[in-house]
Amino acid sequence: MNKSNGEGYPNKPVQLIIAFTAGGSSDVQARIVEKYWKKYFNDQPLAFEYKPGAGGQVGFTEIARAVPDGYTIGGVNVPHILLQSLSPQATFCKDDFVHIAQVVNDPQLIVVNPNNPIRTLDDFIAEAKKKEGRMTVGIVGTFTAHHMALLKLQDILGVKFNAVPFQGSADQNVALLGGHIDAIIGNLNDIMRYTEQFRMLAIASENRHQWLPDVPTFQELGYSFTSDIRRGFSVPANTDPAIVQRLREGFQQICNDPEYLNEMEKIGQPAAYLSGEDFTKYCDRYYEEAKQLIDKYELNKKN
Amino acid sequence: MGMDVFQPLLQGFATALTPQNLCFGFIGCVLGTLVGVLPGIGPTSAIAMLLPLTLILDPTPAIIMLSGIYYGAMYGGSTTAILVNIPGEISSAPTALDGYAMAKKGRAGPALAISAISSFVAGTLSLVGLTFFAPTLAQLALHFGPPEYFALMLLALSVVINLSGKSLIKGLISAVAGFFVAMVGMDPITGIARFTFGSVELMSGIDFVSVIIGLFAIAEVLSTWEAQVTPVIRTKLTGLMPTKEDLRETFPAMLRSTVIGFFLGLLPGCSPGVTAFIAYDTEKRFSRVPETFGQGQIAGVAAAEGANNATTSGGFVPLLSFGIPSGPALAVLLGGFMMYGLQPGPTLFEKNAPFVWALIASMYIGNVMLIILNLPLIGLWARLVKVPYPLLAPIILISSFIGAYSVRNKMMDVWLAIAFGLIGWLMRKLEIPSVPLILTTILAGMLETSIKQTLSMGDMGIYLLFTRPISLTICILALLLTISSLYGRYKKISLPGDDEEFSSESIEYPEVFEKKSPVLVKPRRYLHAPKAVYLVREHDRSRNVAKCGSLRMRQAGEQVQR
Repeated sequence: MNKSNGEGYPNKPVQLIIAFTAGGSSDVQARIVEKYWKKYFNDQPLAFEYKPGAGGQVGFTEIARAVPDGYTIGGVNVPHILLQSLSPQATFCKDDFVHIAQVVNDPQLIVVNPNNPIRTLDDFIAEAKKKEGRMTVGIVGTFTAHHMALLKLQDILGVKFNAVPFQGSADQNVALLGGHIDAIIGNLNDIMRYTEQFRMLAIASENRHQWLPDVPTFQELGYSFTSDIRRGFSVPANTDPAIVQRLREGFQQICNDPEYLNEMEKIGQPAAYLSGEDFTKYCDRYYEEAKQLIDKYELNKKN
Repeated sequence: MGMDVFQPLLQGFATALTPQNLCFGFIGCVLGTLVGVLPGIGPTSAIAMLLPLTLILDPTPAIIMLSGIYYGAMYGGSTTAILVNIPGEISSAPTALDGYAMAKKGRAGPALAISAISSFVAGTLSLVGLTFFAPTLAQLALHFGPPEYFALMLLALSVVINLSGKSLIKGLISAVAGFFVAMVGMDPITGIARFTFGSVELMSGIDFVSVIIGLFAIAEVLSTWEAQVTPVIRTKLTGLMPTKEDLRETFPAMLRSTVIGFFLGLLPGCSPGVTAFIAYDTEKRFSRVPETFGQGQIAGVAAAEGANNATTSGGFVPLLSFGIPSGPALAVLLGGFMMYGLQPGPTLFEKNAPFVWALIASMYIGNVMLIILNLPLIGLWARLVKVPYPLLAPIILISSFIGAYSVRNKMMDVWLAIAFGLIGWLMRKLEIPSVPLILTTILAGMLETSIKQTLSMGDMGIYLLFTRPISLTICILALLLTISSLYGRYKKISLPGDDEEFSSESIEYPEVFEKKSPVLVKPRRYLHAPKAVYLVREHDRSRNVAKCGSLRMRQAGEQVQR
């Protein structure tokens, strides 16, 4: 084995840890990667191992604590791993991971029920001001990407919301469909199923998304607000840099394969490649921002 | 909707009846029955394991097969519940109450047959509901917001009273313990770790599978071992098939449980486990002889098994109409849809009509396959109880450990199952029923989530429940059911002729003791017992018999009753 320079890597099957259940979005995406993995990695299989639980924390912890020989890689979600490392019950820190690549960028949107008279973001802001903090906005969990987005949005729009946390995006969507809450913060991937039942007010990405060309960005409407969930692949810290390099190159090839991109569109996941270095920079930025937000709202206090 | 359903449905049948689709449907049903039978391995993990493998297939046969696993498991789950008091799935926990009692009386065959027939009737009838009203019903389910779910959970909690056995206090202790078990892990909303003692594994909570394997399988083996009695094996099997009377008695139960299972199944989060318990409780209320429930009342078996099957069809309504999975198994199935680029939602019925109707048609066919598959197996299964317990026990234990391990591939779950086995054994000794614990463990998550959401929905706090018509109605219903259950208990306790030790029962002790075990000295207390029918619950029996004297007597007593 040429452990020193990464040559010949991989020469045996590589284990892939998925921190969510089989059939979940992370798994569905990783299965597409698997289809092309062999092509770019010496024809070696990718062996999936599911370690679900605690919002991904169980599996992420496994990745962080795995033997750093390059034969265990993991699917990671951002900001999940960053927020979990900031929480009082952290079981890993953000530097326990070395990122290979970002593969998905799933932007968040503000969505209302179409029966609601709210038609634009301005209507939404006006309504929120009128309701004086009683406007109910569904989010997924607390101390999550959704929660951070809501807090940021309060600051940026200058309003206050009444956050109603749900266990998952499905529950949140049902509650909005039934009109039990006024609005939700949802991810593109989850919303795409309901484009006809929902009214999307604004998308928190830098540019409009090709799947929803009529939905304006916050930027266009005069608010500098972006928020998203990203999926990537990582190895534990202390993995041989040569192997990391080899993985980064291979993933770059996979992510630019036209057939791969085609399949990603079919499963409804917004493919967005970022190199391991750029992904790491993004994570560091988000981490600092989240830390400030958490301190400001004193979310880290155990009460 | 209406007549225009027939055309696409017929086309669906045409697609589903092609050899390839039939074949994969059959594989799904067989696998489903199998994972249903095995405690620990459930449809969720089976679908998850097979999902990647099915990607080489076309979407239609693949989804047909995976769905077959889901509803097939409901057929299989009752088998071990009836034969060895170990539910193969959590949704068959209420089946064990009467099914096992029937098996001990030598009526394992009819119990198995009724559970298959009830599964078939309810499964098929609820498919009719799915076929004709899916989009309309899905709309109906949307009226349920967090307050309505909370009210519904309160209603389900009222079932605890009827599952408590003789002592309400002990039933409540068990129920509270269930909440505590469910509390371990992360708060479902805030993600704050509770009672995890710094363990990452415990952060994802205690899995149902460990609880159910421990309380049922391991505890059963421990108790049997300790009592030194070989429970079922000396029983004569009295006929494999149910009598006409059985069928007549259970038919209304099948219909009622179909309605309950299907309509509650429309609500995301109402798992087959929850609806089976509610249907069981409802049947007990409708029954003219409620005291026979838990003693081998065949209607109880029919109700639980009918409801869990009806719930599986019900669950397909929100899945197909909105892409909302009502439970973990359907969530994995939804992943399968996504992998094939099938976006569930109203557009699925338009864009992928042939696929949807083939899937629905395949479920009708699958139910027929399952009953044909299950009825002839009954003879075989029923003979399983003849296997000597010293041989059966290790098999039960090994499959329990494998089942617990397979949940997350963690030894932790095996240790937890063993711990629950000891707890279950202790509970049996203390005569604390374990079923309320199981029920509250299932309900706790949604109860907690829905109340927190209700409270965060406005300034009204908990009063919000009473300002919304649906939640108010359910709350009133829950209150009425609670009062009627409590009144029922009160009435039963003060029944004339009952002494403090017994309620009423179908076994007349004096006679039985004289006839079957002449060596025994007639205990004085039985001599004075009124001629009225006694109800002695499972755990009371051993105690009362034990009171009578030596172990030998106790063994004889066990034998007589079984």
